[in-house]
Amino acid sequence: MSAPEKESPMKQFSKYSVPAQAMIDAFKRCGIEYVTTVPDMVQIALHQILDGGESGLRVVHCTTEDQAIEVAGGLYAGGKKVAVIVQNQGLYAGINSLRALGLDSKVPLFFVIGQFGREFSNLGSDPRDSKRRVVFLLEPLLETLGVPSWRLEGPDDLPNIEAAWQASRDRSGPTALIVGHFVGW
Amino acid sequence: MKTLDACKLLDMHRGDAIVVCTMGAMNALDKLPVNPLAMACVPLMGGAASIGLGLALARPERKVFVFDGDASLLMELGGLVSIAHAKPKNFFHFVFNNSIQFAGLGNLDTPGARRADMAAMASACGFDSSQRITNLEDLEARLPSVLNGPAPSFVELVVEYDNPSLGIENPAVEMTDERFSRMGDEIRRIRRHLGCDAEIRS
Repeated sequence: MSAPEKESPMKQFSKYSVPAQAMIDAFKRCGIEYVTTVPDMVQIALHQILDGGESGLRVVHCTTEDQAIEVAGGLYAGGKKVAVIVQNQGLYAGINSLRALGLDSKVPLFFVIGQFGREFSNLGSDPRDSKRRVVFLLEPLLETLGVPSWRLEGPDDLPNIEAAWQASRDRSGPTALIVGHFVGW
Repeated sequence: MKTLDACKLLDMHRGDAIVVCTMGAMNALDKLPVNPLAMACVPLMGGAASIGLGLALARPERKVFVFDGDASLLMELGGLVSIAHAKPKNFFHFVFNNSIQFAGLGNLDTPGARRADMAAMASACGFDSSQRITNLEDLEARLPSVLNGPAPSFVELVVEYDNPSLGIENPAVEMTDERFSRMGDEIRRIRRHLGCDAEIRS
């Protein structure tokens, strides 16, 4: 008789996860056709479905986040609807492209930003109270840039996906959906 | 080869291609008749090729020409890998290499000037076609085969540069407001011309 498998202690945090398929379903309700990305660790479950090729969304893999923003700008110029999936560090790396295309050029960029590095003791609390700069800087920085953001802290926040998407269309500029914990499998 | 002469030749052969330009080639194209399917990547040094990639993927029925600079290509060199990975068969990347930054203003050497082999880098990254052209006659002779050949395609154009204009007698140049609104205006012009939904409100 084999010993029963021990359940991963990480499962206790699953209530903060939003299933990847639910995110893709929301993207489709928004009409999103393309994803440009440098992959994000907390969104690996989402990336795996997208890379599987059966989601109906086309993925453009980029080597830097500024490229991901620029490719999204080009896709928009060509008439396509796009989500830019990055992590917090990637958003920091791509600020000049966000400034040029999202803010100065008024391209409606929809960012999906994972909170890489968030300590699990902060889950359920305000990410601005995180001890980690990579986490707590994100929302204030977006505010400084004039980029409105919505949190995805669990399944109850699913409507925020469409809210953030629609706001990018309404304001003709960038908006951000902030993914607070690992996307669910 | 002068940048303006190369741009005139490429403009003659563009057909219904969409053009994304930046740096010296942008200044040269500004001297030619307006193309409603052209946009400037400005001020966003390094971004032209990736914007062109997005356009090429969105509009596979048309060619997309990117008129890049050597220093701007170097700023996002990994973009060559992204382009080769996406395999856009309608993507033509022309890099105007004068080995100079702020050409005609301050004329500072580009890192790798006259040493880095850009055409070889594009080939190594997986472009389907890559070449270096050093004079206008050669460009004219080879352009039809470039445009009818495999893509993504990379063409390094070795071009001349003007003397610097900034100095004691002309100590500064101010950027106009138009410099910062131009890219968005031209993106919206392309969308209108292509018949895309007018999502951006004025």
